Amino acid sequence: MNKLLKALRTGWEFFVLFHHGTFVDKNMAVVRKEAFDINDNLMLLLFGDYLGIPNPMSYYMLELLPYVADDLEPWERRMQNRKFIIAEKAAQYDFD
Amino acid sequence: MRHFTFFGGKGGTGKTSCAASYALSLAARGVRTLVVSTDPAHSLADAFDKPIGFQTAPLCPNLWGLEIDAEVEAKKYMKSIQDKMLDLVSAAIVDEIKRQIEIAYMSPGAEEAAIFDKFIELMEAVGRDYDAIVFDTAPTGHTLRLLTLPEILGAWIEHLIEKRRKAMDLMKMAARYDKPLAERIANDPIIQTLTARREKFALARKYLTDPEASIFYFVLNPEKLPILETARAVELLSRHGIAVGGVVVNKVIPADAGPFLEKKRLSQEGYLREIRGRFSSMTIIELPMLDDDIQGMVQLQRISAMMEGLDS
Ligand SMILES: Nc1ncnc2c1ncn2[C@@H]1O[C@H](COP(=O)(O)OP(=O)(O)OP(=O)(O)O)[C@@H](O)[C@H]1O
Ligand SMILES: [Mg+2]
Repeated sequence: MNKLLKALRTGWEFFVLFHHGTFVDKNMAVVRKEAFDINDNLMLLLFGDYLGIPNPMSYYMLELLPYVADDLEPWERRMQNRKFIIAEKAAQYDFD
Repeated sequence: MRHFTFFGGKGGTGKTSCAASYALSLAARGVRTLVVSTDPAHSLADAFDKPIGFQTAPLCPNLWGLEIDAEVEAKKYMKSIQDKMLDLVSAAIVDEIKRQIEIAYMSPGAEEAAIFDKFIELMEAVGRDYDAIVFDTAPTGHTLRLLTLPEILGAWIEHLIEKRRKAMDLMKMAARYDKPLAERIANDPIIQTLTARREKFALARKYLTDPEASIFYFVLNPEKLPILETARAVELLSRHGIAVGGVVVNKVIPADAGPFLEKKRLSQEGYLREIRGRFSSMTIIELPMLDDDIQGMVQLQRISAMMEGLDS
């Protein structure tokens, strides 16, 4: 049991690092950005229903919540921004 | 006898009666049997005329019954997630994402998913607590979705794992000089959780598609529409690799039923011929229409001997 808790905590700490970053190498910043983007897209597949995108297995995705709970709100905001940027671009081309 | 025997078919054809009496016949032969209802509208307790609930209830020597309650199972699942969450994040955040939890809890697939989890848990108990499980399933559509769920979601989960792995690989590159971080990436809890889920689905697939382990029987009445529906469902299960052992034709009017039912009996004869032709490669057993509803041990025993025909 203790072992499990420890493993979970390790996972959690990792998540904090993942999102706040402890990276110095500038070249690596690009790689990191790409990793973040892939991860944000993955979050969309996992928790898209929170943004109104139906998810066939949202029930099973709940078990991932403990590991992403802290990032959920910031992620939703990032997604809203993304929508905003796309809308802005579209406006430039007179789509509507 | 297989480890897992399923009775499915259209509403009201006699799935519950067949599952209950077949389970009774196994128990009588000394097989430790659990009969489980996966139909949200349970009627197993009515068939046995004994209380059965979401906890295993003893029914007679060698026989136990259970009616899966999706809500109870979902609540257990939520509770375990919330407990885990409290270990990892602050109570404030747990509170904040309660809304999300509720959305998923009420999503269309939730009930099925909850039933499915219990279903896997029970399957794992075979060989240990029981020798056989007999499933009384919901009308066809619901059951087909339930049985094909692991295959469909398995592919989806594989895709999620790949995505996460790709992000992790990039992270690993970025963390090349940071050993502790690289190690943490290797133990990513998201990949671990998704993998555990994938494994569960794979196990269910393995049981369901092993003809030595699982077998499915369709219960139908000698009428026109059920024949077409059954043929289609048999097709679909075969395509998903689930063995269909045969059909139980229930409520066949006996020849000596008298003039009042004669016209109906004659039309049944035509459909019976069609059924025998269409499903000739499978076991077919025919159960007579009884003079009363099938309720309680005595009535169940009237057809349980005939259900043994499925094992010969
Ligand atoms: N051979 C039979 N003779 C007389 N009555 C029968 C027979 N088989 C089933 N019945 C009765 O028909 C009704 C429906 O049977 P049962 O509940 O087994 O069907 P079901 O397919 O499980 O229905 P549901 O789709 O509602 O779960 C019950 O009242 C049952 O007692
Ligand atoms: Mg029933």
